[in-house]
Amino acid sequence: MKSYLGLIPISAKLRRRQNRMTLLCIIFAVFLVTAVFSMADMGIRMEHTRLLHKHDNLTFQDVMNSTTGQTLCLTAAAFFVLVLTAGVLMISSNINSNVTQRTKFFGIMRCIGMSKQQIVHFVKLEALNWCKTAIPIGVILGIIVTWGLCAVLRFLVGGEFSDIPLFGISLVGVISGIIVGIVTVLLAARNPAKRAAKVSPVTAASGNSENTVPINRAAKVNLFKVETALGIHHAVSAKKTLTLMTGSFALSIILFLSFSVLIEFVGYLMPQSAAASDINISSIDTSNEVDRTLLDKIGKMDGVKHIFGRRSVFDIPAQLNSNTVEIDLISYDDFDLDCLVKDDMLKKDSDISKVHGNSNYALATWDKDSILEIGDKIRVGSEELEIAGLLKYDPFRSDGLTDGEITLITSSDTFIRLTGVTDYSLLLIQTTRDVTDEDVTAIRDILDQNCTLNDLRDQRTSGTYTAFVFCIYAFLAIITLVTVLHIVNSISMSVSSRIKSYGAMRAVGMDKHQITKMIAAEAFTYALSGGIVGSIAGLLIYRLLYNALIAAHFSYAVWSLPTIPLLLILLFVCMAAIAAAYIPAKRIRSMAISAAINEL
Amino acid sequence: MNLLEVNNICKTYGNGETSVHALKKVSFCVSKGENVAVIGESGSGKSTLLHIIGALDTPTSGKVEIGGKDIFSINDRKLTIFRRRNIGFIFQSFNLIPELTVEQNIIFPMLLDYQKPDKKYLEELLTILNLQERRNHLPSQLSGGQQQRVAIGRALITRPSLILADEPTGNLDTQNSSQVIALLKEASKKYEQTILMITHNRRIAQSADRVLQVSDGVLTDLGRRRE
Repeated sequence: MKSYLGLIPISAKLRRRQNRMTLLCIIFAVFLVTAVFSMADMGIRMEHTRLLHKHDNLTFQDVMNSTTGQTLCLTAAAFFVLVLTAGVLMISSNINSNVTQRTKFFGIMRCIGMSKQQIVHFVKLEALNWCKTAIPIGVILGIIVTWGLCAVLRFLVGGEFSDIPLFGISLVGVISGIIVGIVTVLLAARNPAKRAAKVSPVTAASGNSENTVPINRAAKVNLFKVETALGIHHAVSAKKTLTLMTGSFALSIILFLSFSVLIEFVGYLMPQSAAASDINISSIDTSNEVDRTLLDKIGKMDGVKHIFGRRSVFDIPAQLNSNTVEIDLISYDDFDLDCLVKDDMLKKDSDISKVHGNSNYALATWDKDSILEIGDKIRVGSEELEIAGLLKYDPFRSDGLTDGEITLITSSDTFIRLTGVTDYSLLLIQTTRDVTDEDVTAIRDILDQNCTLNDLRDQRTSGTYTAFVFCIYAFLAIITLVTVLHIVNSISMSVSSRIKSYGAMRAVGMDKHQITKMIAAEAFTYALSGGIVGSIAGLLIYRLLYNALIAAHFSYAVWSLPTIPLLLILLFVCMAAIAAAYIPAKRIRSMAISAAINEL
Repeated sequence: MNLLEVNNICKTYGNGETSVHALKKVSFCVSKGENVAVIGESGSGKSTLLHIIGALDTPTSGKVEIGGKDIFSINDRKLTIFRRRNIGFIFQSFNLIPELTVEQNIIFPMLLDYQKPDKKYLEELLTILNLQERRNHLPSQLSGGQQQRVAIGRALITRPSLILADEPTGNLDTQNSSQVIALLKEASKKYEQTILMITHNRRIAQSADRVLQVSDGVLTDLGRRRE
């Protein structure tokens, strides 16, 4: 050993278990930043290739100035700051607990002549020592995950992501990962190092190194079983830990609900309908002049996956509640009607099965001001139609509002019976993945002069939508994973600080099952308080974001309680609490009682 | 009649050249109601022996029987219940539950059994231990002597047949030490309990019925006290 710093690798070997969580945090931070920056780099390379196809003379600067380039850089920078902050907080709390557990050790070091400055140096170098293993692991993980994500985007999402490189290694990603690892650790070690330097040499001499939090109130053993009462008391007696843990749980709920609004917002921005078409064939003057035989003809052609048609007649007189009104009537083929169900377009209590075939039922478009209700009857000519269901909004208008007009959707057979019109006003075609321009030209060639063909293939948004939703979920997964790790670690530290007390309880007769219940009661108290605070704050923020992002721009949008996201995140909170209790409980259970009593 | 029988207990820490033999073929018996003191240098293996007898640790080899029951032949859950009901522990550092009051600490083993304590017996214990007025205090509000009296109460509440005390007066001054030992003896006599007590205090050891000495893991019976 050349100097006192030679103690660092020896101590790291001995304290491998205690350092595991810190190592995990560093690996996690490095992995995240490497992956995010590598993905951003791959995105820019993809954009570069895409733009090169369009323009021959293109510099890197041009790509960076493009909207995609700037969005990617900005997102990566925001990630960097977020990961750095989360990383510093988590690693700092780990190093802090490490220092607390070794108060006596630092006291001895001071006793035998280590200066305060040397202690600071020791703690910082010890933290940097972890980087030796954690950074390479984090970087390699980041690169592998980037390859995986690129493969997913290229082969599963496709579209605009077809040009993304597969096995690229991003130098920017790797360097950012290394920098974040070192900077996080150095920033995180600063305060614990100062704390360690403050340890008095008397601590070692007196042996009085236990950190005891004063307890002023007794546990409520008459309300709960003793182990449950003690667990709850452990959670509520340490106010700082309770606040931090409640905050951690609440934060994950708030973030989840906020991101749910974002996903809903993207859904409104880029509505993904099962009936979305790639090619439209319509009659020139909105009349029904598209020959009905085209449906079968085109349906058999290459590159066509689905074809379905609509007929329409506008402003036909009808009787509603003994008032004369004008209505629009539109026919939907069975595939189109089925898509309404798939897209969850129908309001509650709607029964679309009545509409199929030759029937006396119809669907109606709807908005907040609409007077129509399910069960209403409308007389069209000599026939009476009953409203079997309502759409959540008016899909035929860009703002989704009906403007007081009545639009009824019937099946093809019902429409033909009511109007006698058999030809279509619009044919919608969904193409196969491998459709070629020649296939589209072949379709165009069989059309007569009354029809016009609109090729919408370039306007597909499903790739962007999937990538966006994927990114939101990935981000959400990362945030929740960080929160869970933090919660597990905090409860584990709380258990470590009471290990001697647990040993004494085991000695006087507490069984392993009761120990587990006690730790679980502590974890669930945090989860309960976090769940309550998180649900209230999360719902308020959800409502605010909904109003600002969705209701303000999409007037047909109706706010409803996000029951499913809320239940999902509460389920996740419960699972996090179970995980948080399981790991330290397992550690205590496997520990010999005499070892626990003699701890510290 | 023997309450405790220890047969050929060995305890070894580590393997190979670095192994340490903490206990070497320790055997002895203790009769019901007997008050035995265990003496020895620091690191001689006294606490290891006490921990093994109390089933807080397992021996490398050998057998311990309490009331005719081989304690290491039963599973962990049953062993915990056996310990809770039949063995009372008193530690040097008291090891009270800081979140529980004096009364709750005393009845803690009963609470772990989900049983209601015998109120008359609890009052009797509180009176003997002179803790009636402190019953609702937390351990942090008590002196060292009072805390050790609570620990004695906790060890007696289930009326165990065996009380294991690991230097119960190690953290107390002379006056408190005498009081605690007197209380322990009085209670054990009253409730016919066997005491096995580690002590460094020669006076306390001399007042025991029998003295055992542990030296480098080897136990020697120093014999009975002359009346």
